[in-house]
This record gives sequence, C-alpha cells and structure tokens, in this order.
Amino acid sequence: MKSIYKNFLILCLLGAFACTSDFDEINRLPGSITADESSARYFLTNVQFELYGPNRFPYWRGPLIHGDRFAGYFTFGYNGSWWNDGLGYTYNGGYTDATYGWLEGYLRNLDNFLDATETGGEFENANMYAVGLIMKGLYFSKFTDIFGEMPYSETGDNDILSPKFDTQLEIYQGVITELDEAMSIIGAQTVTGDGVEDMGDNDLFYSGDLQKWKKLANTLKLKMGMRAMGAPGAGFANGAVTEAMSNPLMEMTDEDAMLIKDEVISQWGSAAYGDIWHNFGGLGSKWHVGETLISALRDNDDPRLSIYAKPAAGGSITLRNPVDPDEVKSYDLMLSTLDDAGVVYNTSVSGDEVTVSFAADQYYIGQPTRLNGVAYDFAGWDMFSTPSDIVINPKNGGPIAPELILSSADAFLLRALAVVEGVGSGDANTFYQSGISRSMEAWGVSGDAITEFLTNSPMGTLSGTVDEMREKVNTQRWIASYTNGFEGWAIVRKTGYPAGLAAGVSDADIFSMGDTNGAYPQRMRYGNSVRDRNGTNLTEALGRQGADDMGVTLWFAK
Amino acid sequence: MSMNRNLLFKNLTICLLLLVANVVWAQEVTVTGQVTGADDGLGIPSVNVRVKGTTSQGTISDAQGNYRISVPTGSTLVFSFVGYISKEVAVANQTVINLQLAPDAVALGEVVVTAFGVEREKKSLGYAMTSVSGAEVSEVKETNVINSLAGKVAGVVVSPGTFGPGSSTRVILRGNNSLTGNNQPLYVIDGIPMNDSGFGSSNSDNGGEFSRSDYGNGIGDINPDDVASISVLKGPNAAALYGSRASNGVILITTKKGSLNSGLGVTVSSSFQALDAMLLPEFQNQYGQGSNGNPLLTTGASWGGALDGSSQPYYTGENRPYSAQPGNIEDFFRTGSNIVNTIAIDGGNENASARFSYTNTQANSILPNSDIKRHNFNLRTTARLTDKFSLDAKVSYSQTQGKNRVGLGTEGVVANLYSLPRNIALADLQDFQNESDFSVRTYTDGGTNPYWVMNNDRNDDSRNRLLGFVKLDYQISDELTVFARVGADFTDQRIESVNQFGHWFYSTGRFNFSDNKESEVNADFLATYTKRLSDDFSLSVNVGGNHRVSKSEGSGIFGEDFKIPTQATLPSATTLIPRYDFEAVKKVNSLYAAAQLSYQDILFLDITGRNDWSSTLPESNRSFFYPSASVSVLMNEIFELDNSVVNLAKFRVSWAQVGNDTDPFQLQNTFRLEQNGYLGRTTLIRPETRFDLNLKPEQVSTFEMGLEWQMFGNRLYGDFTYYNIDSKDLIWAVPIAGGAFGRLNTNVGEVNNKGIELLIGGIPVQTEDFSWDVSLNLAHNTNELVSFIEDVQSFEFSSTNGGTVNVQATKGGGYGDILGTTWLTNENGQRVVNSEGIPIADSEKQLLGNYQPDWVGGFTNTFRYKNMSLRVLIDARFGGEVFSGADAGLDGAGVSNRSLLYREGGVVLDAVTNTGTPENPIWTPNTENITSQEYFGALGGIASNYVYDQTNIRLRELAVSYRLPSSLLDNTFINSASVSLVGRNLFFISKKIDNFDPESSYSTTSFAQGVLYYNLPSLRSMGVTINLGF
Repeated sequence: MKSIYKNFLILCLLGAFACTSDFDEINRLPGSITADESSARYFLTNVQFELYGPNRFPYWRGPLIHGDRFAGYFTFGYNGSWWNDGLGYTYNGGYTDATYGWLEGYLRNLDNFLDATETGGEFENANMYAVGLIMKGLYFSKFTDIFGEMPYSETGDNDILSPKFDTQLEIYQGVITELDEAMSIIGAQTVTGDGVEDMGDNDLFYSGDLQKWKKLANTLKLKMGMRAMGAPGAGFANGAVTEAMSNPLMEMTDEDAMLIKDEVISQWGSAAYGDIWHNFGGLGSKWHVGETLISALRDNDDPRLSIYAKPAAGGSITLRNPVDPDEVKSYDLMLSTLDDAGVVYNTSVSGDEVTVSFAADQYYIGQPTRLNGVAYDFAGWDMFSTPSDIVINPKNGGPIAPELILSSADAFLLRALAVVEGVGSGDANTFYQSGISRSMEAWGVSGDAITEFLTNSPMGTLSGTVDEMREKVNTQRWIASYTNGFEGWAIVRKTGYPAGLAAGVSDADIFSMGDTNGAYPQRMRYGNSVRDRNGTNLTEALGRQGADDMGVTLWFAK
Repeated sequence: MSMNRNLLFKNLTICLLLLVANVVWAQEVTVTGQVTGADDGLGIPSVNVRVKGTTSQGTISDAQGNYRISVPTGSTLVFSFVGYISKEVAVANQTVINLQLAPDAVALGEVVVTAFGVEREKKSLGYAMTSVSGAEVSEVKETNVINSLAGKVAGVVVSPGTFGPGSSTRVILRGNNSLTGNNQPLYVIDGIPMNDSGFGSSNSDNGGEFSRSDYGNGIGDINPDDVASISVLKGPNAAALYGSRASNGVILITTKKGSLNSGLGVTVSSSFQALDAMLLPEFQNQYGQGSNGNPLLTTGASWGGALDGSSQPYYTGENRPYSAQPGNIEDFFRTGSNIVNTIAIDGGNENASARFSYTNTQANSILPNSDIKRHNFNLRTTARLTDKFSLDAKVSYSQTQGKNRVGLGTEGVVANLYSLPRNIALADLQDFQNESDFSVRTYTDGGTNPYWVMNNDRNDDSRNRLLGFVKLDYQISDELTVFARVGADFTDQRIESVNQFGHWFYSTGRFNFSDNKESEVNADFLATYTKRLSDDFSLSVNVGGNHRVSKSEGSGIFGEDFKIPTQATLPSATTLIPRYDFEAVKKVNSLYAAAQLSYQDILFLDITGRNDWSSTLPESNRSFFYPSASVSVLMNEIFELDNSVVNLAKFRVSWAQVGNDTDPFQLQNTFRLEQNGYLGRTTLIRPETRFDLNLKPEQVSTFEMGLEWQMFGNRLYGDFTYYNIDSKDLIWAVPIAGGAFGRLNTNVGEVNNKGIELLIGGIPVQTEDFSWDVSLNLAHNTNELVSFIEDVQSFEFSSTNGGTVNVQATKGGGYGDILGTTWLTNENGQRVVNSEGIPIADSEKQLLGNYQPDWVGGFTNTFRYKNMSLRVLIDARFGGEVFSGADAGLDGAGVSNRSLLYREGGVVLDAVTNTGTPENPIWTPNTENITSQEYFGALGGIASNYVYDQTNIRLRELAVSYRLPSSLLDNTFINSASVSLVGRNLFFISKKIDNFDPESSYSTTSFAQGVLYYNLPSLRSMGVTINLGF
C-alpha cells in the first residue's frame, strides 16, 4: 500500500515536470503588433526617409564622405581635418561597407511595403503599391548609379537567398516599366483610399496626394531616360524621354519631392549634416565647400552663393613657411585660389611661419578638391568658405534645408537638356530658365534676384553651340543638386561637367591620387557583405562589368 | 590485485553513491579524533567520515580536521577526501582515532563530484573529467575565481577579460560548438545552475569596437574562499544529464559546508596582491606632435619634427621646449591592488551544522579612480531532521560595486592614452576642463583627454546577487533515496554611465541609466536506487526531473543636452528617451534517468536519457530526447597486470547527444511599433529577422575515448583523450540577400570539433621530507564549419571599423578565420603603389590566420619540503593568430617605436605603379618618394602587416607556501597558520608579438575574438596570503 502511494507521488511529480500548458503564451513577445492591428501606411514613412536621411553612421560615411565629396560640393583635408582630402578616393573598406550596407539593407523595408500592399498582400492596396513601385524606382536608380550591376529582378522573393545580378541596362528598363505601371494604376485618382487606407501624413513627400506621386514617377522616368541615353544598347531611352515629356511633369516647387528634416529625432534614427558638424568638439569632422562649386556660383553672380555657403572666416591665418618644393607648390595653390576669388590679402614671413591675412567674413573662397597630405598643412581652416547655416544647423538650432530627392528644377532642366540633345520638343531656354528659377525658389531666392540673374548673368540664358548648351544645362543641374551628392556625382560622370571635376587630378605633389591614379572616381566598390552572402553571383557580374575597381566606368556613363 | 581490495572498493562505491541513505542506529559509541595530512601534518577540513556499510551515517571534519561521530559498536570507519587516499579503521573499543591521510593527486580511489552532485570514484567514469581543489583557487586569489583554472586543466582555454578587476572571463572547453549562441560551459553551483550572463561580457554578442565596457559575468560573483572543489566535465558526455545548456560542458563548483560534531571553528584569511602592467607597447621618443615632419598643434599625431628641445607652441597657449615625455604612458597607470579578507565560522553538533563566511574584496584597477568593491555573504546549514530526513540549505548574497568601469576600444581610454603625442606631459593633461565653458582641455582641438574619462565621466554599476537553495533528502529504504530541491539565482544590476558636458564627442553631455533584472529558479528531484544484484553485479539507478523558469527584464533612460552643464540628471536633460523591455520568460521542464551497472568493479556501463520540454521551441518540436552511454574497463584487472608496475589502466569510451534550445520570442513574425517615428508619425517596422516557425532543437553529438593509467605506485600517471563533437541543426539567424528580411532564423549548418587531450604526471622524488610533483597537460582542437546554408560561404563574427579585417567561420574551413587585406600585387607578384608612390590594398581579402590556438598546455611543478611548498605553473599557447588593430593605430599615429622607420628622407618603395588603364595596365617601376607618415598611413589599411602569431609561453603562477608546524602553535589559541607568497602572470618566457599580450582580444564575446584593440595591459600580480584557523 505504502509503495503504491509512493509510486503515485512520483507519477504526480513527473506530470508536473512535463507540463507545458503556458509555453505558447509566455513565448509571445509583449508589445508586438499583428496585421489586424495595423495598416500599410505605417510602413511607408521609414521607406521614405531612410533613403535620404538615414542614421548618422551611413549618413556620414555614404552621402557626406562619398557623395558630396565626389560631387565636388564639400572638401575635407584642411589643416585640422581628421583626414586629408584623399579620403574615399583611396578605397576605405569601412566607409564603403557602411554605404553599401545602408542601401542594401534599405531594400527590406521597401520590399515589405510592396509585399504588404500587392494583390493578396496583408494590406492589399493597389494605390499604395503604385507608390511603393515609385519608391523602388528612386531606390534602384540611386543604388545602381553608385555601384553598378546589382540584384534587381530576383529581389523581393523571400525564397531566393542569393539573387542574380542584373545589368544596368536591365535595371533601367525594368524601373521605367514599373514606373509606367505605377502611373497607370494611379490614373486620375488623388488618394490611396479612405481612413487608414489613406496614406495621409505618413506620406512625408506629398501627404497622400497621388497626382503628385504620378508627376514624380514621370519626372524620374525622364531622368532615367536622359541618363541612359547614349549608353550601349539603350535604344529604349529616346522613347522613354519622349513619353515622359508628353505627360505631366513637375512644374511647381510644391510638387518637388523632398524630405523635411525631423529636428527632434535622434541622430541614430535619422541624421542631419548638423549632427556631424556640431556634435564633435573640434574641427576634425567639419568640411569646406569645394572650389569648383564656389567659383561656378561666384563667377556668375549666382544668388544661391550666399544661401549655399558662408564667406571664409579670414583674418590672420598662420601657416608654416613652405620649404620643400611640394610645400611651396601647395602654398602657391592656396594663394592662386585666393587670387581667383579676387581676395585682397597680405602675407608676412616671420621665422619659419608665414601669415596670410585678408578681410574677415567677406570673400567666398572654395577649397580645391583632393588635396593630399602635404597640401593639408597649407589649407588653413579660416581660408575657405563653409556651408551656410541652413545646411549645417544643429537640430532645434534654426531651420535646416530639406533633403532633395527630385524637383521641378530637375524636371525643367532635364527637358532643356532633352531639347538640346534633339530628343524632345519645346523651347530649351524657357525650360532652362524655369529650371533655374525653380531651384532658386526652392532655396528662397527672391523673384527680383532671380530675374536679375536670368537677365544679366552669363549663365542666365541658354545659348551657344550644342556643347556650350550642354555644359550650361548640366552645370545648372549639378548646382541645383547641391547637398544631394550622389546625384551630383552621377551628373558629372554622365555628362563630364563641370569639366574641371571630371578631369580628376594629375599633380601628385599636391593632390591625392587615390586608387584611380588621379582619375575621377566612376563608382564605389561593392560592400564586403555581398562577397560573403552572394559571392558567386557577384563574380559573374564583375565578369561583365569589369574589376571591382573605382576607376571602372559604369554602363550609363559610357 | 587481491579480492579483498576489490571488495573494499565496491563497498566504498556503494557508500558514496548512496549519499543520503540512513540506517537504524544500533548500540552506539562516540568516536573523536583529528585527520591530518601525511604531507604536512596539518588537519584536513571537510573529510568525509562514514560508517562502512551504511550510506549516510557520517560526518565531516571541521576546519582543523577534527571530527566527532557516534557509531555502532564494532563498525569500521571510512575516511575519504578528494585528493587523498581513503583509509578504513576498525573502531573496536577506541574512542579516539587520529589518523593521517596520504595525498594522492590522481589516486586510484579518487572520489569526484559528478552530475547532480553524485560523488563517484573516478575510475568508474566512462568520460574525462578533472577536479581542482578549493585550495588551488583560494591560494592565488583572482577576483574572478574561474581565472584560476588557466593552465590547470587540459582542453580548457581561459581568456580573462582585459577590462581590469571585475571583468568577465571567456572559458571554452574543447572548442566552440555554436555559431551565434553561447559557447561557454554551464556553471553549476552546489547543484544549482547559475545564470552566467553579464553586460558587455563574454555571453553577449555585441562586438562594437569603438568603446565598450565589461561589467563582469555571473561566475565572477562566486567567492574563491567558499569553494571546496571544482569539477570540469568537459564534453557533453559528462554533461548529458544537465540538459540543453550543457552542450559546451559543465563546471561544477562545490562550496564548503560546516561539519557535524565539530564545535566552533573560525578561519581568517587575508590576501594582498599588487598589480602592474605585464607589458606596454614600445613608444618612440624622437618625434613630437605634428605633421609632415613639422610641429603642428592642429593634429593629434606624432609626425612632427625631431624632439630637439627647441621652443615650440604648446597646446596650453605658451611655448614649451619640444622634448620627449618618455613616461607619459606608464605614469598614467598606478599600481593596482587586490585586497581580499575572509572570515569563516563553522560549527555543528550531532544533528546540525552551519558555516558562515564573509569576504570583502577591494580591487583597485591600475587606472586611476577605478575600482571594484565586493561583499560576499554565505550561509550554509545542514540538519538531520529525523533519521530519515535531512536538510541542506544555502543562501549567498553578493554585492559588487564598480566605479568607473573602463571603456575600451578605438575610442576608449587606453586608445586615448596610447596615442598621446610624445611631447605632451601628463601633468598638463590633469587640468582637463576649461572653467569658462566646461569644455575639454587637451592637446589638440577635438582631441581626447584620458584624465577627463577617469575623473569627470562616470561608468559605475552595482550588482546584487542572491543565490541559494533548499534541499530535502529522504531515505525511503536502504536501497532507495530521494531528494527534492529548489534553487534560485536572482541578479539585479544597475549601470550609470555619463559623458559630461564638454566631452569631445558629446559636447553637450549625455547619460544612460539602466537597471536589469534576471532570475532563474530551478526545482528538481532525484530518486536513487542502488542494488547489489549478485556478487558480481551492482546496479544504481537515478530518476529525476527539473523545472526551470528564467526571467529577464530591463529598463533604462537615456538623456542628452544638459541644461545645467554640471548636472547629469533627468531634469537637466533636454532630450530623454526611456526604455523598458517587457519581462522575457523561458521555461524548461525535464525528466531524466541514469543507470550504472558494474561488473566486479572492472567493467562499468552507464546509460542516461533525458527529455526536455522548452517553451522556446514550437509545440511539435519542443519535446526532445537525448541519450548517452559510456563504458569504462579496467584493463589492468582483466589482464591481471603486475600491481607493482601498473596500478591502473582504464580504457573508456562514450557517446552522447545533447539537445539545445534557444532564446524566447523566436516563433512569431510580428511588427514593431517604433518609439519615435519620423516627424512624430506613427511608424511600424517589420523586424529584420524572419523566424522559422518550425524550429528544431540544436543537436550536439559527442564521441569520446580515452585511456588512464597509473604506474609504480602512482609515481607515474597519465590520461589521454580523443573526442569528436558534431553540432548540427544550429539555430542561427542567417544573413540573407533579397526579400523583406535581412536574416532568416532557422536550423542550419554543422560544426565539428575534434581534438586530443593529454595529461602526464609523476612524482620523480618522494621522501619523508621532500617531494617533487610534476604534471603536464596538453590539448589540441581542430574546428570546422562542415556545412551551411546554400550559397552562403561564411558567417561573419566581426569586421573592423576600417573594413580591413573580417573574422568569420568559413564553410569547409575554420571557425574564427581571420581574413584581411593584403598589399596589392600585380600578375607578376610585384607590389603595387599608386602614382604618388603609396601602397594600395588588394580588394579581395585573404585568409591571414585563425584565432583558435593549435595547442594549449600547462606545466606544473610542485616541490614540498617539510612545511614549505613551491608551485610553479607555466602555460603556453601554440599557434593561432590575432590582428592587432592597436599596432596599426599606434603606427598610424606615429607614436610606436616602429614608426621611426623612414622618418628622415622618406622612402621610394620597391614596387610598380600602373601607368596604363585599369583594363590595360602598364607596370612602371615606382620612383615616387613618400614620407614615413604616408607609408604608415597606407600600411594601416593593409591588414596583413598586423596579423601576429599568438604563440606564447608564460610563467602563469608561482606560489610559495609555508604552514607553521603545529608544535609552534601548541600553546596559542591559533590552531593553524599558513602564509603564501603568490605571483601570477609574472613574465613571458617567449612570445611573438611585441606590444600586446597575444591572448588578448577586444572583448570576451564570440564576436570579438581574433582582433585586439587597445586593451588594458595584462596584469602581473604579486602578493601574500595569510590563513589563520582558531
């Protein structure tokens, strides 16, 4: 009897130890959200801002270090910078990986939005799907222009772990087809739906206005057509451009696609230039405006000069008195840059130092691009212009310019270029002047100043030979893309303007030659992650495209 | 061997297996006495004194070796203790029995603590296991007790954290089995599994290299003075019964108990150690702050002019002689110290015993203003409630307070310090803040100041830990006993870190205050049935179950932009970001059984089986079973080998499988609401990882075989083991390309570890007064990532910030491969420079090494002369590589001795440059001269220059002990006294890297191995320990 009791007791214990009734419940993450509690609109916001205002890590390493500097907008390498201006021109694995990783990782949220809104998706909504397709176009056109071939047609399938790479030709064609699809879905509709089906304020670009999205899609189609034009096998480009020009394009600045900066969000959520400029104590992380941009504005009396940049601090700048020939050359380069800017300055030598002095806060002087380590010592911080406050203001410390995506200025300038290239119809100069006007309006230039510029500046009117007109239009496109460095860099690669930038550098005594031996960088190397995760397909792509080298010209720029 | 002896051992086995049995008491007599060591004549504490033929009727000697026991007349007493040869004495009419036990490092009758705290004779085990006595860990006290295992156990790789006192330690038994999970063993304290997690420690997967702190891991809370013995169960074989967490092996720690019948004893122990840097990098003292060979205040590097004493501008605003400050690194460090004081009181009568101890630890880092204070309280009681019931209970509480735990990494304080320009005086830097605007005052604009970090910023923490259990034993019959136990481990850790207003990176200040709670409760029972089936066969069966509940939750608040610069408080912060992590709960239920069958004490067969039910796995897979089997054969008995030559020749073979579950919340694909959406919008995100809803448990299978032998009366002994561990179905969030997810969490891949372990020892000299013991252990492990998800070639553990190095597991290759950039060569093998003459790094990374050592070993010599002993431990690592990001950084900053190369006149590198196009290169000999600064600037991007061989041999431990002979103490109130002089990490006998300890890595996690960045230097300690017994 007693032993039965004991056995029973043991059985009870065994039972208790095998009880699993609450296992499912405790393994559910508290605070997680299921499909029935949400709507697709909540997934759109991040898809929009992360492509243009990512967190500080990629913001610094991608758009700032590579994009804005390759575009010639910004320069490092002054005395006190953490780097000489060869940074990035010499391959840097860490900074390249950060850029690649950001854009590669971005796809997830976009893909999620497309999956959710497509037919049969968790939040099926054809109009939002169309918006997703337009975002996809913005994304792939940006990504491929930086790196080259990449997986496109096989992305978005959760079951393909190693998607094949597509050529740029295929990507361009595919994106244009998807833009057409998006525009056709939108048709004449104005909103994506009612209630939570309306994107509303979750749409950071247009607050849910579908017709503005449609114009963005058409303007992007125009841009991609123009960028593909002339590239090997890009027969589709002319048709795309003609179609785009016969449909509504962005006309007014309130149709511009741009991202208003969030001044509250942490820099680890979304960064601004000011997070990098102000959040470090010293000079090391800051930058100057490039000489090419400053002189293009200054020498043509462009009213955007004082909006884009501040005058050099000036005053007395003490440098080491140059001794070696390289040093003398570097020093002379700085003085000739001052001369070009019309600066009235004095130099005085005392012992082994030389002091350069000129009026404070008066002259706009850009810093020459790609200075090497020797020239670094002679590029005084106070000698050159810095970006204006609206570009580098800290969050909550004054207005911050929005991130440019694609604008009515771009739309008009592209139309002007199409006419110059003999593809589209219309008056090239009208398009040109409208483009400049829209750019200036967007930056807050007064109407009078715009008229003054269009009337009197040598850049105010589009005229001359085809090449001269090409130079003017493309230079204006490049100026209008200020702070959108990846776009500016693509314009220089495609068009060869501004010619000074596109020519690269050749004097190794004062300039940093980098991995391209002085040539203008044509692409960034792929990130290391793709080697690990998709190595076989990458190797195949490199076989078509050329070595994984910054000097290899991409398809669109050929 | 005589039949008699055989029988004795059989009986002893049964005695020990039936730990808690009891018998009806017959007519009794009280026996008292003292057990002393034959080696030193001192009392041996905690000796098991039992009545032969019974199971639980016994006691334990007190701190001085005294015991008192009531026994039936005519019985025989068995005296046993780990590390000594057991002895039997017939009581007859004696009431006082004093006796000596002979030491026996690896003796035939050695009794070891195995799974569930079951003591077994080592010879009956079918798997490898090693025990270390408490004396060995308390003599040379480490702040983290587990550091004392280094070099003492074959196949154990101990890597102490380099964050100073209180940092965590990485312990790997037989290689790494898991890709992402924890690779460290399970710690079991008195039968209760311990939560070993810690912040920034060896168990976390964060490998951020900029700056990280290590707040210690769980095992660091154990007081070395409370440890009675440590058993290392190396493979899953030994650990099959501990379940899923034991797939990396188990370290069992048994703590001290009070003894019955012993009266009151007091032990006082004091230890003091002084610590200093074992080695520092070599710095140059010829060139100062500047650039391109000239002094310059806007740079923080030392590429300036020759330090010729000329008057030059200095950062303070005045002109100073441009002269070297050779001591400006080492003078920043102070002499660290480690002061440990313990008082232990133990006592007991026939029915109850208690031991209480309190230990106070004060560990001062070699960094100024940084220390750890720890209080350990421990209370252990045992009681016989009735003749069938007995109780064992323990509660221990520890409080650890860290002040200014060091932040290390490329932006850590050691990096700040090492890159100081060579002409900057430390005395100037001590004035670290500008009074006017609170900004940092330092040698260059935006530069760092190590004194600010140590004296102005804060990184403090406080960890409270409560660990305890209650265990009730019940003897149902002579053959059947059962115990039930509840054990708990509660940890609460608060961390406060502050970067003050004016900091070089966070100029308006920021703080992060957090509080994290973790708990684990285990309830278990075990029934033990022992039966002698016949003269030849004995059977022992254990059946048990365990119910585990683990919980964790955390909260914190981050703030920045201080309104009042001096106030790092919530109201002062302009931005506040609160954080709260809901409680995560994990439950695991287990049932298990083990049976041991022995034949004539010659052949032993063990079979175990365990089934786990884990709440972290899907319903269909949450129940998983895993078995083990082992056989141990005493060949010397079978072949009747000459007992005077071969005392033991044991062959053992075993096979085991262990399942492993995962963390909570991996079975549901949901969305997450973001705390701060862009522009205040409500935003949702889909988490990066897609969860496989049909997750299976990981499976680790082990095969092990070994041979143990003892010869010439134990004067020569050895143990050889071969093992093969296969880990399959690893649960791992694989990085994937394409799709809405960045990772897929699923079962994938297979990792294999194979290796051998060898222990050889002997006693070359043994006389009455003098003995010399020597032992050598060696272990070799190879590790391979056998298979993997399709198309994915490797798994990256870490990549450096500069992108020059990846540490990864490569399919078909090793776990821990170091891949890095090399100097680009052309198709003719010539090195390539660019048109400036600067080296170019190749775009494809090459395999440059693997961080796992080929061989690790330890060599111990112990000399005893009368009351004096000298122990010398030399340990070694052979093979394995490490990338030194610190060497690259020191060269780049121009402070290292190596950076003196090419300082005058620069260099035209013997290389070629491409004067053609990328597609059609034309290789032209290089003629461009570059400076030393340019050369080292480029070299830093070429990882192959900074990969070093880890091979090193060091004098790990030296201890001289003297025990006062009892004759000297006869007329005093002191019963025993000993004094030890100890040193650890004294010097390298050989190493292949100049500037750093080759065994360091930038933290102890799996994600930070193979790369070192500005560690705190490894410490050399020298000190004295005094033990007094009253």
